[in-house]
Amino acid sequence: MTADLYATATGLVERSAAAYAAGVPEGAGDDGFFGPASVTWRVSADLASPVAGLRSLLMQALHPLAMAGVDQHSGWRRDPAGRLAATSAYLATVTFGERAEAVRAAARVRRIHDRVRGTDAVTGQPYAAGDPGLLLWVHAALVDSVVAAASLVGTALAAGDSNSYVAEMVAAAELTGVPRPLVPSSVPELDLYIASVRPGLRCTPAAAGSMACLLDPPGLDEDTAEIWQDIRDAAVAALPRWARQMYGYSAPPLTPGRRTEIRQSLGVLDAMVLGQPGVLEARQRITLRMRAARPA
Amino acid sequence: MAGAATLLLLRRRPGRLRLDRARAALRLAARGGARYAASAPRLFAVAGERRQQLREDLALQTAEDVAGTLGAMKGVMMKIGQMASYVDDGLSPAVRQTLARLQDSVPPMSPGLAAAVVEEELGAPPDRAFARWDPRPIAAASIGQVHRAVTLDGRAVAVKVQYPGIAETIAADLRNVALLRRMLRIAAPAQDADALLSEVRDRVGEELDYRHEAASQRLMAAYYDGHPTIAVPRIIDGLSTRRIMVSELSGAVRFAELASWPQHERDLAAETIYRFVFRSLYDVRAFNGDPHPGNYLFQRGGRVTFLDFGLVRHFTPAELRPLLQMARTICVEHDPGAFRASLENAGFLRPGAPVSTQAIVEHLAVFYDTIREPGPRTITTDYASSVVRRFFDVRSPVAAHIAVPRPYVILQRINLGLFAVLGELSATADWRAISEEIWPFTRGPASTPMGEAEARWLVRRQAAAA
Repeated sequence: MTADLYATATGLVERSAAAYAAGVPEGAGDDGFFGPASVTWRVSADLASPVAGLRSLLMQALHPLAMAGVDQHSGWRRDPAGRLAATSAYLATVTFGERAEAVRAAARVRRIHDRVRGTDAVTGQPYAAGDPGLLLWVHAALVDSVVAAASLVGTALAAGDSNSYVAEMVAAAELTGVPRPLVPSSVPELDLYIASVRPGLRCTPAAAGSMACLLDPPGLDEDTAEIWQDIRDAAVAALPRWARQMYGYSAPPLTPGRRTEIRQSLGVLDAMVLGQPGVLEARQRITLRMRAARPA
Repeated sequence: MAGAATLLLLRRRPGRLRLDRARAALRLAARGGARYAASAPRLFAVAGERRQQLREDLALQTAEDVAGTLGAMKGVMMKIGQMASYVDDGLSPAVRQTLARLQDSVPPMSPGLAAAVVEEELGAPPDRAFARWDPRPIAAASIGQVHRAVTLDGRAVAVKVQYPGIAETIAADLRNVALLRRMLRIAAPAQDADALLSEVRDRVGEELDYRHEAASQRLMAAYYDGHPTIAVPRIIDGLSTRRIMVSELSGAVRFAELASWPQHERDLAAETIYRFVFRSLYDVRAFNGDPHPGNYLFQRGGRVTFLDFGLVRHFTPAELRPLLQMARTICVEHDPGAFRASLENAGFLRPGAPVSTQAIVEHLAVFYDTIREPGPRTITTDYASSVVRRFFDVRSPVAAHIAVPRPYVILQRINLGLFAVLGELSATADWRAISEEIWPFTRGPASTPMGEAEARWLVRRQAAAA
């Protein structure tokens, strides 16, 4: 394997973990937009999170304009770990940070989005990253993926909890600049919204190329590649069938044995994250606050 | 486990000189051990002690909490770390950091959760199964924790309680051989992944059922019954099950306090430890794979109580024979050619390896340094460091042809753990004369007052057996 790629992969765990640890405040003044009793806090600790992340990238990339914006503006090809770490940092701050901190982080992202404008070469349509329509798709893909990944290889949410999670996450969409009335606030609304967007989705060359690279990073050594394959298989299996078909992936349903194997690989990955400075302490801060909020 | 923690620490700063690293590591081993609570801490070691002081607020309250903390390979990874650390010096800093943090991440069980396990195993909650029950654990243990209690018939005991659900989780994780092999290859690339894998699966598998440990401890307690200086706490039979192990509680002091006793007392304690290790190996054909300060309790006059028999390996006579041959040929017969042949027979040395017999003797003699010649010798921390250094010296031309066959993997703890303990005590004795008492091929006369007392005990044993 190439040393560069290894550095990138290592950097991904290190930088994402650092972003997470920094996003969880010490001695918080308020509980932020979700709080310790929320489903959002609970699912954020699920082992399936990396699968949810990968699946949401796969979903998001199917929107030609969202993909074009990332493809033409983001430096992700130069520094994929940095790009993902930035997203992790943002999500950690919005999830666990104090309200003022979350609002500040969202404002920074909005300023960046303001500069991301252009024309999609495939559809010929103009795009702007601050467009609430695009932001809503990115949001819906994430929320849907968290529920799907938890149900496939994590701790599945009860139906009521899935609805609560979707409703809680409306606040996150609003922070990025989507007007609240536009944001689905239950699982049925989310499903309807995704179905309504679906006719405009397609696997553009940019999406195919980027996702192929993400699913099968070149140059990984054999052992690392096999662990990555477990995460990738879960992400692909968790996609809606139509999304898999757009990409041309075939994926037989996961057997119970395969799901156990994937969970075991996710545990190894989680242990690697836990090994990074500050992560254990950040998790303990969250656990203590969640316990304090639990009805006795 | 201090040994494991030690070796983990040993590799943390690759830039420093090997000597300094090894010495610092051995110091840490002793210090880590000194912090242990009174009974049976192993898997979570130093972290275990800390977590009781600081992390009761994070106590595991449900079986789901346990699964989240130790499930999905994490418990298995900790065990791999423990085992890989005493057979391999090649763990990367990232892997070591991960394993250390994993250990820190395990809080104790809440009093209610521990009580539920006791009730499931014994059919009654702890306050009815025991006359007295201390709901606060006194130590971390292998995949569990230790509580103090008093039995209904009035005996003070240590009760080891296993985390609920952990045995099933770890058993399932051990079945994922492909992932285990990948992890071992990543964690310890220099090792033979398959040999280590089967050792890990066997040893960890045994630890899931405390009855294995109880059987080993019962065997040792029975063998050493009446011994003048060696004590092994008895297992309380009716109260020991798959997930609960109850043994007599020993009232003695820990390693840290021994270190403040006069040298004479320290020498006696060291002599007892030495006799215990080698008598167990040659007479009981069993070796406790965890000789570290936290597993010993001390009383004046050299009396030592030995704790924690979770990592005992039992040997067949055929497995022991080559070890005896090696000791005899190098220490008694001083016959390098025969020594080399015995190494080859045992599988330690590839037959026909292109290295001179003299180089082989020079490479391995350090392990026999204290017993090659008669006369008092002081085991120093420097000597212990040199043993560690030689063990991990992969640059020597001999090293490429040396391998540790699987039955003997656990014995490496003699070199790494026992000598670290004796070195920390600066123990002086005529180790050769003591060895001659114990070696089956010499059975020499008693060489010390303790040896005389032990000889009388052996006579009484044989008389009782006849």
